[in-house]
Amino acid sequence: MRKLQAPLAAAAVAALVLAGCGTTSDRTSDTPQAQNSKECKGADGKYTIGMSQANVAEPYRQRMDDDILAAAKEVPQFEVKFADAAQDNAKQVADVENYITQQIDLLIISPNEAKPLTAVVKKAYDKGIPVLVLDRKVEGDAYTGFIGGDNVQIGTEAGKYIAEKLLPNGGNVVELKGLAGATPQTERHDGFIAGIKGNPKVKVIASASGDWLREKGQAQMDALLKANPKIDVVYSHNDPMAEGAYLAAKAVGREKEMKFTGIDALPIPSGGIKAVEQGRLSATFTYPTNGKEAIAAAKKILVDCGTIEKSQTLQTRLIDESNAAAIYAEENPTG
Amino acid sequence: MTKAQDKPAAGARPADEPATGARPADEALAGVRPGDERAGAAAGAAVGVAKAPTAIAESSGGVVATLFRFQSVFGLLAVFVAAIIFSPRRDGAILFVSADNLANVVRAVSEIGIIAIGMTFVILIGGIDLSVGAVLGLAAVGSAVLMVESDWGFLPSVVLVLAIGLVFGALQGMATAMIGIQSFIVTLAGLQIARGLARIWSDGQGVAIAYGNGPHEAPDSFAILGERTFGGLVPIPVLIFAVVAIAAVVFLRVSAFSRHLYAVGGNEKAARLSGVPVVRVKVAVFAICGLLASLAGIVHAVQLNQGSPNDGIGYELDAIAAVVIGGTSLAGGRGSVAGTVAGALLLGVLNNILALNNIDSNIQLLIKGLVIVAAAALQRLRPAS
Repeated sequence: MRKLQAPLAAAAVAALVLAGCGTTSDRTSDTPQAQNSKECKGADGKYTIGMSQANVAEPYRQRMDDDILAAAKEVPQFEVKFADAAQDNAKQVADVENYITQQIDLLIISPNEAKPLTAVVKKAYDKGIPVLVLDRKVEGDAYTGFIGGDNVQIGTEAGKYIAEKLLPNGGNVVELKGLAGATPQTERHDGFIAGIKGNPKVKVIASASGDWLREKGQAQMDALLKANPKIDVVYSHNDPMAEGAYLAAKAVGREKEMKFTGIDALPIPSGGIKAVEQGRLSATFTYPTNGKEAIAAAKKILVDCGTIEKSQTLQTRLIDESNAAAIYAEENPTG
Repeated sequence: MTKAQDKPAAGARPADEPATGARPADEALAGVRPGDERAGAAAGAAVGVAKAPTAIAESSGGVVATLFRFQSVFGLLAVFVAAIIFSPRRDGAILFVSADNLANVVRAVSEIGIIAIGMTFVILIGGIDLSVGAVLGLAAVGSAVLMVESDWGFLPSVVLVLAIGLVFGALQGMATAMIGIQSFIVTLAGLQIARGLARIWSDGQGVAIAYGNGPHEAPDSFAILGERTFGGLVPIPVLIFAVVAIAAVVFLRVSAFSRHLYAVGGNEKAARLSGVPVVRVKVAVFAICGLLASLAGIVHAVQLNQGSPNDGIGYELDAIAAVVIGGTSLAGGRGSVAGTVAGALLLGVLNNILALNNIDSNIQLLIKGLVIVAAAALQRLRPAS
């Protein structure tokens, strides 16, 4: 009897594999044929939207999901489902495949990385599912629309602000970077370097990677403070790392010697706008989550039977002490 | 020895079964559950008492014991049936059993499954390998860099990457077997080292794989591996997973090595005393695990058209979960590859059905955790043959 175990399991595997492969051809025929050939049901339809999020560990991305949910509540025809890929490309591919299986009416995706997600996004698009890509792009043009901020532009704005406003007479800057390999990290760096070019007396004396995380930003800053006796500005690729750097400087009593800037400006109590309002950061730059805009685009496609622009770039806003309180109140009226 | 706690073996045997003596040979036997992949006979041969354990296995069947022994297979069937019941439907069709979806399920578990098979070997000898996710990342980066940036051919790239995994695993095996550092610690260090190497090798960037015959392109002739399915039917990773699983099962059934494996896991000291080359077994087992992790890394890179140094984070935990659900004891000496395959599939089906029903991702974590605990609890209840 004991010898039965392996064959039994093997048979189960085989059954699964066979079941998985046997009838592929007759299933594909009843899916919608060409893209966008689905008849638009307009305002009378009921629509399921699948949102594939790269991860919800970052507050920015949780906020994106929240914005989508809030905006969708205003559209009675919409029901939104959420999947969290937990920073794993392979899981995100599976998430999208599950949505295709469920025959959702529209896919919103904020890809973890471009290259690995391109094929599956194309697969959905080719099956006639409109696809809205948020924040990070995929390759090619097999999607309905892209909505995102421009990280190069944000980096440039930050660079200009530091070179012109904070350090007109020059000074030493340290850069706290996001996770190595992430596109926004590269773009926020490249834009920044372009932004400070106008003032040759601004010098980037050191940089370190804080992986987007507050505690890593703090730990990296501990080391940077020891190694660099004179730091004038800390340019951080996001607000949490800037906050971590502030805490590190404060711990050794040097927080007044330097200024801190961040990026993202989430309108939440732990976000960058509040940090500016309360004087820990000198400035932050909004990086719109696009949740509201995505639902507006989805409404245009599904309910209004219209078309949308292929690419929509949302502008960044500088937030400093002059406007922080007002913008916080505007973007987060409840709290 | 703490292992004894997990094995109520010798002392707990029913009175009507052959009594076990106090010789070292029997200590080794005591740790091995008859019925697991020839374990009884295997350990028996290893310590020079060939017949007795087989007799034990034969005489102690029983419905309950069988249920426990095939725990993961029954678990898989139960989850499979539950998935059909709870599957969303569209126009009368059960979405879960659609061909596309089942192909997705098996494809999604393939990488973890390949790793988990290697992990089964390690856990069978009472070790653990935390480095597999990082080795997967290193292999994914390696195959992308070699093929695309260094313009190596597909085959030499794959061979080198597999060799790296093999050597990496073997080194970890040596550190634990020769120096005597616990495998948990060795492979925890290995995790950091492999991740660091992956980041250095790739400059911290994901390396995209493009196919073609030009410079900085992986050769066209091998683009077939990058296709998502073989002949439009079988997803490539599933094919590789199946081959690895069958090879592992056959290997454990026919080779003398498997006797040594179960003997070391059952009672290392007794195995050593009875002439099992413990060091060699350990090194080989970790080498196999590293090799399979890097194979999974190649599959990963080819499927996603990219090798990224952050690939495979946390995969080691999924692999361990598959092994545990598959009925392999973390204390070693007891378990099977087939169980692991069933465990991996169970996790895959569970992931899929939870996703199809759009269960909140945080609740999904909770449910998966409970399933792992339940599987481990069943282990404890399992009668001592």
